[in-house]
Amino acid sequence: MNWQLALPEIFLSCSAMAILMYGVFARPERSFVMSSMLAVGALLLTAMLVLSGTPGVGYNGLFTVDAYSHFAKLLILVAVGLGVVMSLDYAEHANMQRFEFPILMLLAAVGMMLMVSATSLMTLYLGLELMSLSIYVLAAFARDERRSAEAGLKYFVLGALASGLLLYGVSLVYGFSGSMSFAEIGRAMADPKTASPGLTVGIVFIVAGLAFKVSAVPFHMWTPDVYEGAPTPVTAFMGTAPKVAAIVLLVRLLSDPFGALLGQWQQLIVLVSIASMALGSLAAIGQRNIKRLMAYSSIGHMGYALIGLAAGTGAGVRGVLIYMLTYVFMNAGTFACIIAMRRQGRNVEGVSDLSGLGRTDPAMALAIAIFMFSMAGIPPFSGFWGKYFIFTAAVQQGMWLLAVIGVLTSVIGAFYYIRIIKVMYFDEPAPAFDPRPASLSFVVGASGLFTTFFFLFPAPVVAAAEAAAKVLFR
Amino acid sequence: MIAGALLFVLLAPFVGVPAVVLLQRLHRRCAAWGAAAAMAAGLAVLAPFVPRVLAGETLVARWQWLPEWGLDFALRLDGLGLLFCGLILGIGLLIVLYAAYYLPEKDRLGRFYAMLLAFAGGMLGVVLAENLLLLVVFWEVTSLSSFLLIAYKYEAREARVAARMALAVTGGGGLALLAGVLLLGQVAGSFDLSEVLARGDVVRAHPLYPVILGLVLLGAFTKSAQFPFHGWLPAAMAALTPVSAYLHSATMVKAGVFLLARLYPVLSGTEAWMVVVGGVGAVTFVYGAYVALRKDDLKGLLAYSTISHLGLVTLLFGLDTRMAAVAAVFHIINHAIFKASLFIAAGIIDHEAGTRDMRRMGGLLRLMPWTGALAIVAAGAMAGVPLLNGFLSKEMFFAETIGHPAFDGAARYLLPVLAVVGGVLSVGYSVRFVHEVFFGGAPRDLPRTPHEPPRWMRLPVDVLVALVLLVGLLPQVMVGPILLSASAAVLQGEVPAFRLAIWHGFTTPLLMSVAAMLGGLLYYRFRHVLFALHARLLPRDGGQMAFERAYRVAELAAMRAMAWLDPRSLPAYLALLVGFVLVLGVWAWRGGAPADLAGPLAWGSVDPLTGFGLLVLAVGAGGTVLLHRRPLVALMLLGVAGLMVSLGFLRFAAPDLALTQLSVEVVTVVLLLLALRYLPQVTAAESGAARRWRDAVLAGLGGLGVAALTFAMLTRPFETISGWQIAHSVPGGGGTNVVNVILVDIRGFDTMGEIAVLAMAALGLHALLQGLRLPPAAGVASAQPGEGLPVMLAMLMRPLLPLALAVSVYIFLRGHNLPGGGFIAGLVTAIALMLQYVAGGIDFARARLRWNYVKVLGAGLGVAVATGLGSWVFGRPFLTSTHGYVDPPVLEKFELASAMGFDLGVYLVVVGTVMLCLTELGAVSRSGRVGG
Repeated sequence: MNWQLALPEIFLSCSAMAILMYGVFARPERSFVMSSMLAVGALLLTAMLVLSGTPGVGYNGLFTVDAYSHFAKLLILVAVGLGVVMSLDYAEHANMQRFEFPILMLLAAVGMMLMVSATSLMTLYLGLELMSLSIYVLAAFARDERRSAEAGLKYFVLGALASGLLLYGVSLVYGFSGSMSFAEIGRAMADPKTASPGLTVGIVFIVAGLAFKVSAVPFHMWTPDVYEGAPTPVTAFMGTAPKVAAIVLLVRLLSDPFGALLGQWQQLIVLVSIASMALGSLAAIGQRNIKRLMAYSSIGHMGYALIGLAAGTGAGVRGVLIYMLTYVFMNAGTFACIIAMRRQGRNVEGVSDLSGLGRTDPAMALAIAIFMFSMAGIPPFSGFWGKYFIFTAAVQQGMWLLAVIGVLTSVIGAFYYIRIIKVMYFDEPAPAFDPRPASLSFVVGASGLFTTFFFLFPAPVVAAAEAAAKVLFR
Repeated sequence: MIAGALLFVLLAPFVGVPAVVLLQRLHRRCAAWGAAAAMAAGLAVLAPFVPRVLAGETLVARWQWLPEWGLDFALRLDGLGLLFCGLILGIGLLIVLYAAYYLPEKDRLGRFYAMLLAFAGGMLGVVLAENLLLLVVFWEVTSLSSFLLIAYKYEAREARVAARMALAVTGGGGLALLAGVLLLGQVAGSFDLSEVLARGDVVRAHPLYPVILGLVLLGAFTKSAQFPFHGWLPAAMAALTPVSAYLHSATMVKAGVFLLARLYPVLSGTEAWMVVVGGVGAVTFVYGAYVALRKDDLKGLLAYSTISHLGLVTLLFGLDTRMAAVAAVFHIINHAIFKASLFIAAGIIDHEAGTRDMRRMGGLLRLMPWTGALAIVAAGAMAGVPLLNGFLSKEMFFAETIGHPAFDGAARYLLPVLAVVGGVLSVGYSVRFVHEVFFGGAPRDLPRTPHEPPRWMRLPVDVLVALVLLVGLLPQVMVGPILLSASAAVLQGEVPAFRLAIWHGFTTPLLMSVAAMLGGLLYYRFRHVLFALHARLLPRDGGQMAFERAYRVAELAAMRAMAWLDPRSLPAYLALLVGFVLVLGVWAWRGGAPADLAGPLAWGSVDPLTGFGLLVLAVGAGGTVLLHRRPLVALMLLGVAGLMVSLGFLRFAAPDLALTQLSVEVVTVVLLLLALRYLPQVTAAESGAARRWRDAVLAGLGGLGVAALTFAMLTRPFETISGWQIAHSVPGGGGTNVVNVILVDIRGFDTMGEIAVLAMAALGLHALLQGLRLPPAAGVASAQPGEGLPVMLAMLMRPLLPLALAVSVYIFLRGHNLPGGGFIAGLVTAIALMLQYVAGGIDFARARLRWNYVKVLGAGLGVAVATGLGSWVFGRPFLTSTHGYVDPPVLEKFELASAMGFDLGVYLVVVGTVMLCLTELGAVSRSGRVGG
């Protein structure tokens, strides 16, 4: 058995355990920073292991390593790494510097890596739950704060329901097709003798469960509340890596085993995508809390990413991957700025708190402006390219309506992004924020540079995404 | 060579952006020189290529960008591009000079020039782009930088609103353009302009042509402020005058018509093009000219005049004859020159007089004769006075309106009449500009007394008006070659022969010009009559207010909708989720291939006894839900349901499960009772009837759905895995009790995980409850130690304990072949111990059972792992099982499998878990240390 296929995952799990042991026995006042550092180191090493890994299928077909999972895993590791770095300073101010924090992130990362490598419903569910359980705890991590506890509870109750739904879908698919493995299910689907509406119902439930994790409409309800209530670094984390993992998994699931039923799930994805884009852009208009606004914005972004899936082609999958890549950096950068919004040691979250930032902190204002323009899809920022590849894929498939709605909603969406810029540059300055810690400046700077200069060197990223997409659509 | 040069021209302004910011630290003049250098360098680098371009060459340079994707970073220089480069850089230079004097001394200029250069770079990118996507990218750069330029005086609310409006309109248009370009590239098969231009026929024949046309025109019309998207341009007059002179005369607003010119060979030549472009152009031409006269603000008049002239250019493209396109290009040049000079002059007047309100001015010619004279000449060009450049292109326009092929019969007078009306109106506002500002009495209470500006501030006007005159007098020499090559680039083919001359003889166009002149003078003379009529009949126009109002309304509507869509309540979310899932489930079943709910298998039958059991089960489950506000009753009903389930297991020949279920039921009831001590006896209903009905319906439908699916699944042929398990149980695991063999052998590793989870859960509970002290809920009798304990039960329990333990050992040992096993044995032991607590009280039991259950847990896990590791000693994988038979004295012969050690681990963990939970929960309301 080729167990080395899962070497990165095994290494990361063992590291998490080792750091846990360290945290238990270390002096409490140092354990948080130290375990965070160790976590970042573990993530780096894992990324190197991923890079040096060879493609293959192992564990009786439960687990697959290919270019597609490579791309997703690296992106996830980067996103988790940024998440750990972002939480360093916040945790100390919010009095939640407990060593479990980075460990939970690592465990979530293991879950996500499992998800993107899953080629069986069993691995899929295990990975998904490992990720979800870690995030439930993270969402309620500031347990002395009412909002955080409420967020954690809401997320858990709804998430448990969604997981149950997914599991029910899995059991239906298993019941009607007789197998858990993607390959076997694919064969059962393609054969008209074994295909049955029960299978479709199963798929729909699985898709619904994953749509919940992606926070696509109509399974988005938890997003605004949880984004607003959870500690900001956790929100930042939830908004990036898990979204990547869930959408990558959704794409693999729908194009690999369920590929034969393209005609049936395509309508569903199209509807979900349109609803997400519309809600994401319309709802964000009236928001005053920037975290809530980002929640709606992320709903909208997932709608765009799903366009690529709806196209059901290699070009579409490539678009999804590139979109998620640009999204991760825009989102991480924006949230790093939000975490840096602190006055006299207290975090503030109102859009109006950004007033006059252009004068009190020009560098941060510029960074936010770049992220906002990028999210609005205005060239030359990276967000534009994500949308470009997505829309091209849709257009190639003749899905004009989807592309046109996408453009329309991005025009509407541009309104609220630009409103933030207006507040920053043209409103009367509010008191300056506290000095920004180096860790946040690092995340803002790195994301900002990527977002701004992606257009100069897109070729390697596009080539990698292309290779990844070829795995699913030859 | 050309590649480097084009790249340099494009990059010079962008390099200048940080440079001027740094230079302003030295001196504001250094910033000005830096900005001028960036522009001048571009002009100088372009100069050597002018002859080749004028000779009709198209110079293209490309770098690989996304090679697999056929996307290149490509630039192109042709006649049209060269013309616009000249306008952007040439007028840009003059604006740099002008702004240095216009802006107050205390402004360091760095920020201003940085934005100006960024804008100039964006414009250059638009006109030099060979790749359509690149064009869109730079198009948005101009939108963004113009937004910043308009809002340069961000202290003024007016400027902020105007900037936002400009960005919303032009940026939105840019996104539409992006969509259009994506489609265009798809249809034409390439984003390279050279290839797209060559495939006009393909594009026009494609069914998507109307969509492409609509989206591209949306981009062009918003940028060029065409009716009805013109509102942002007058609002943008809140910007500084140098900005208006640059953006709103020569460059930004010209980007729209540039796009029309660029894509002319691809998109024109259809009825749709002529109707939309011509129609919008004509309406804008007349409307802008009409409104311009009514503006009291100097810049407002110029803004509407710009709208009108852009409409004229659009109309010319819309006429869709080759000569009209030439005229359009010519008018682009002329308008840029005279309008820039007029804006600059207006800025000087504003600067010197302190106001832009024409009603307060008059007789300024005496105070500033030189500037006045220049402005009058430029206004003459705007009106189309002979010998000035505006006259020539207007003449060409008039000529094109006559005998247009698309109009015949009476309709052929339509265009000429429209042209003359437009001409009359433009003469009217030009006359007003000249008359009210420079003549007509003395100025009325101006804030400052105007005089001539500094020489260098006026230089840009000097240069531009000189051009107005030179082009007007020597057209062929001045613009002939560039017009020819630019027109060739627009038409992508034969340029019709044209002759630029002042005098063409007495022709119809000349007659029209004269008519327009005279009409315009009359119109100006009697304008008050018209104004009065207008005030009576037409509403006030307030594009900006309407925009703001629409913005607010949209925001409010979004918030209202969200309050409804996002109730922020968990029950509502859950209801929504379940509702959507139901809809999806039904949709999915009906959407697939048509199939009956029932599969081919027989349904089977239900005997009366089982039916009765099912009924009791249903009553128990339903009752639990209905009576959940009375926890004790609900618990009893839950017990009923559990009992029926275990009877069901028995009925369907699963004695193991029945045994397990039964013992689990007992443990559950006891633990729940302990927990209920701290909860109120009855909880009040907090939700209204409507919500409960909604939830009941949702739950009922959900249950029906799940039942239906289960039914569908069970009535279809289905191969279970139990056959394999039964076949392998004895040979592989050495036991005839399949359930137990599965637990400890076949899926031993799963069980390993499960007991680990059990142990962790117990430890978690231990950690949570340790040290927690709660008073019992109101209404629950709090028993004192030793008080109210059932004596009979206690007496009975003590001798029963050894018996119960013996039973559990028996169950444990026989488990491999007959119903039983570690799990059940553990539960039986736990129940036996638990009864001691229940009967004798916690103090009595704790004094006698001095075990540390945490250690029991640990021991259990340890034994299980050790068994697993044991197989490694024999070189087999983890948890490999072996078995043999032992025949001890006294006892019956029984089988001993190595899995039994594992089962022992399971047993210990179960006992430890249950007892730990029990003692912790039982001791919450007591004082003192608990848990052994």
